[in-house]
Amino acid sequence: MSSDTAVEVVDLKKNYGPVTALENVNVSIKSGEYFVLLGPSGGGKTTLLRSIGGFIRPTKGRVLLHGEDVTDLPPDKRSTSMVFQSYALFPHMTVIENVGYGLKLAKVPKAEIERKSHDMLEMVGLTGYDRRKPHELSGGQQQRVQLARALVLERDILLLDEPLAALDAQLRKDMCVELKHLQQQVGITFIHVTHNQEEAMTVADRIALIADGNLVEYGPAREVYETPKRRFTASFVGENNLFDGRVVTSDSDTLEVNSPAGQIFVPHKGATVAAGQNVSVSVRSEVMSLERPSVKPSSPSAPAVSGTYRECLYLGLVNSHRIILEDEREVVVRTLAGPDGTVPFAPGDPVRVTWPFDAGRLHTQ
Amino acid sequence: MRTTSERLKDGIFLLPVAFMLFFFILPLALTFVWSVFERTQFWMEPGFTFFAYNNFFTSARLYNFLASMYHSLIAVGICLVLGFPIAVFVRRRIPQVAQHRVVLLFILPFMVSEIIRIFCLRPVLQRNGLVNETLLSLGVISEPITSILYTPTGVIIGEVLSFLPFIVFAGFLAMEAIPKYVFEVCEDLGANTYRTYRDVIIPLAAPGIFAGALFIFVNGIGVALIPNILGGPGAVNAGLIATQAITALDFPLAMAVSAIMTGTQMGLLYLGHRLFDLTHILEPAK
Amino acid sequence: MSEYGSIWGYRAQWAYLLLIVATLMSPVFYVIYISFNENGFGAAEYVFTLEWYGLIFSDRLMMNALGWTLMLAFATLAVTVPMATIAAKFYKATRHKVFTIFVLLSPLFVAPDILGSALLVFFKNTNNMFEAFSDYLGTEFFYGWFQLGFMTAWIGLIIYTMPYAFIVILITIGRYNEQQTEAARACGASGWRAFWDVEFPQIRAGIFSACAFTVILSFNEYTRTSLLKGGFDTFTTVLISQMLNEGMSEQSYAMSSLVSFVAIATIGTIIIFTMIRSEQLQRKAQPKAEPADAPETNAEPQKAAA
Repeated sequence: MSSDTAVEVVDLKKNYGPVTALENVNVSIKSGEYFVLLGPSGGGKTTLLRSIGGFIRPTKGRVLLHGEDVTDLPPDKRSTSMVFQSYALFPHMTVIENVGYGLKLAKVPKAEIERKSHDMLEMVGLTGYDRRKPHELSGGQQQRVQLARALVLERDILLLDEPLAALDAQLRKDMCVELKHLQQQVGITFIHVTHNQEEAMTVADRIALIADGNLVEYGPAREVYETPKRRFTASFVGENNLFDGRVVTSDSDTLEVNSPAGQIFVPHKGATVAAGQNVSVSVRSEVMSLERPSVKPSSPSAPAVSGTYRECLYLGLVNSHRIILEDEREVVVRTLAGPDGTVPFAPGDPVRVTWPFDAGRLHTQ
Repeated sequence: MRTTSERLKDGIFLLPVAFMLFFFILPLALTFVWSVFERTQFWMEPGFTFFAYNNFFTSARLYNFLASMYHSLIAVGICLVLGFPIAVFVRRRIPQVAQHRVVLLFILPFMVSEIIRIFCLRPVLQRNGLVNETLLSLGVISEPITSILYTPTGVIIGEVLSFLPFIVFAGFLAMEAIPKYVFEVCEDLGANTYRTYRDVIIPLAAPGIFAGALFIFVNGIGVALIPNILGGPGAVNAGLIATQAITALDFPLAMAVSAIMTGTQMGLLYLGHRLFDLTHILEPAK
Repeated sequence: MSEYGSIWGYRAQWAYLLLIVATLMSPVFYVIYISFNENGFGAAEYVFTLEWYGLIFSDRLMMNALGWTLMLAFATLAVTVPMATIAAKFYKATRHKVFTIFVLLSPLFVAPDILGSALLVFFKNTNNMFEAFSDYLGTEFFYGWFQLGFMTAWIGLIIYTMPYAFIVILITIGRYNEQQTEAARACGASGWRAFWDVEFPQIRAGIFSACAFTVILSFNEYTRTSLLKGGFDTFTTVLISQMLNEGMSEQSYAMSSLVSFVAIATIGTIIIFTMIRSEQLQRKAQPKAEPADAPETNAEPQKAAA
């Protein structure tokens, strides 16, 4: 076992009676990386995190921390510490008592507890809040105290279970950046669970997508966003338009797919497909563009589908255009909002949606 | 893969349930067995006879038992009418922080031994007791009322005064499970008090109402001392039949009465659970 | 509270609530009133006296019974509250909720005389079985284990008080956030340590209420105790048997009052205590809740660190 693997999860399975929460998950997390478990609620990401922390005993499979099998150890015997969603501070203790609690359990001398807790509070930007009780702090401050309480133990893996879910949008953005900086500063492994993809993209070195108890795919954050391998990833990460269809012909670099919306061409990229096979094509909404059908296509080889313009939603930075295709499905195209706020299309106008050939991604599963 | 200490820890958590199963469920279940045993002079011996049931169903005991059920039902009705609106009032109109303290007021009388409170009713209801003295001095009546004590009325009054707090507790617990916005919606839609009760409060609080009512009903036919102290010669309920049988060393009869009561209670509890899912009462605990 | 409701309707409802409480309490207050009358019940003249109370405390039988009652109450407390706490934790974790709640709460729905009779016969039979088993083994080791006496009354009271303690504790435990235990575990606390350091301080109020409940309930209990007690007497059994045999004597008025005083004082203390505490908490919370610029407390520890 190489020493730079912090967490190794092998064939992990968890059942609650007849319900399967996790199904044969294998993942390995490198030492010192910021790893995010992303996925819809109830998909099993928290179950995975809690199995790593020792709060859940897996039905089957092993959990290894730095090569050591800890599957049968309770949380207090593991080299992990944890930050919970919210309300996990001890309400009857002051901030400094909360932070020092773990050190007190470890029988660290009093003066040292005081010093370390204090330094840690300074690090999370809470100098001067020592004698407060948790209910006197804001939500963001409470989460900082939780961070301090977990980090002061100097364990080498920090687990974060939806740590920002209870905060409002702006605060969440700020805290994301802080978390990322904090992780770079202390240099330990962070494993962070969230259902918010913006949060995931902000902090993550690598992202694992988990849904329906399965690990769908994992890899560097950029890869997951730009070149998702699975159809599900494309539907969950970013705003993608999906076309399901059947392979008509394939040659070495172009694949023709027959979808209800029309013929679509995608790059082949070495996928093993046969004619007649069911596949999906995904295209990010921000790389698509809109044209009037009367205009000549800018590049004749560019894939295109036609539909009817429905409406435009102004979202500040971008306009989100909704187009209804011939098969009644909807396509969303995002463009930067122009300075004068005018939209060149009116509801009911026939339009053509097109995108660069290379932006199409093929998913066989 | 579990360690011994872990297994021990899980064992500890099963202890309360095991204790109740052995010392509570098992004895009650065995009443059905013992009720068909043969009576001996001082005790009983294994056998199979319906003598005790025969004894119960073909004597004045059956009539007394049914009469006590009837009186108990009246007490349940009075308790519901008097007590349930209090639970609603506390939940709807009193600030959240004070609610539990107000409910605690009803624990005050309930905390004084039920038996003592029932005994205390004697001097209150007696010919020259509190009620008559007050009414006489106010000139409301000219002759003391003597038809309360040692009549079914006295028994019903005793039951209401003993058990009223329970309908407040159970009602309040059930009301706590109803989110506050429900009442706001009612006001918003313009439902009057009657409609609010009929369409919203009673259906939502049904598990609590049922639990409270069942508690009162069962104790009304099962607490021997109420008819013993406040009732006349004919006031005999199941509890009294059982304890009298034990005093007379007729153990199979006592067990037959216990078995009938156990069957009635469990049947009603099951029915209530099927109808209302009684675990809802503990919703605030989740 | 409705902002537009009539204030008089609100007051009338309050008045009704208090009237009901007063009515429920009236027999008790009336008896207390009589207990201070030298001439007893129904006398034309009222003369204040403490004589009847003096009689109780000079009565050997009475004091003996009081001793047994307190012992029984505290023995019950020592078993019921820990068991109810464990049961509440078990209930939160188990998937068999309906079964658990049925087993723990159904004693509420079994009338005292019925439970008492069933247990009486159960203990007699169990005792017989144990003795037969003992004879078979040729020892006297199992003799009298379930002879009616302190232990059988004790078990009866545990079963009687369990549902009340369970409900009270379950409601407080229900408000406790289990994540805090996990947070403590993540800090390195063992299961017990996490319970004592983090969970217990927060559910203390519920545990104490359950204790008060259990003591008062077992102190006041008559039916089950009298059926299961065997040889000894408790306060209520002496009182009730006196009442049943001789009717209400002046002394029994005083005794009833005494029991009432204990109960009312206990509950009164709890109410006042919780009121004071919650007000203190509110007062503490208010001034500090405003957003603060660093208070002066940080200077000193920093010096220690330097």
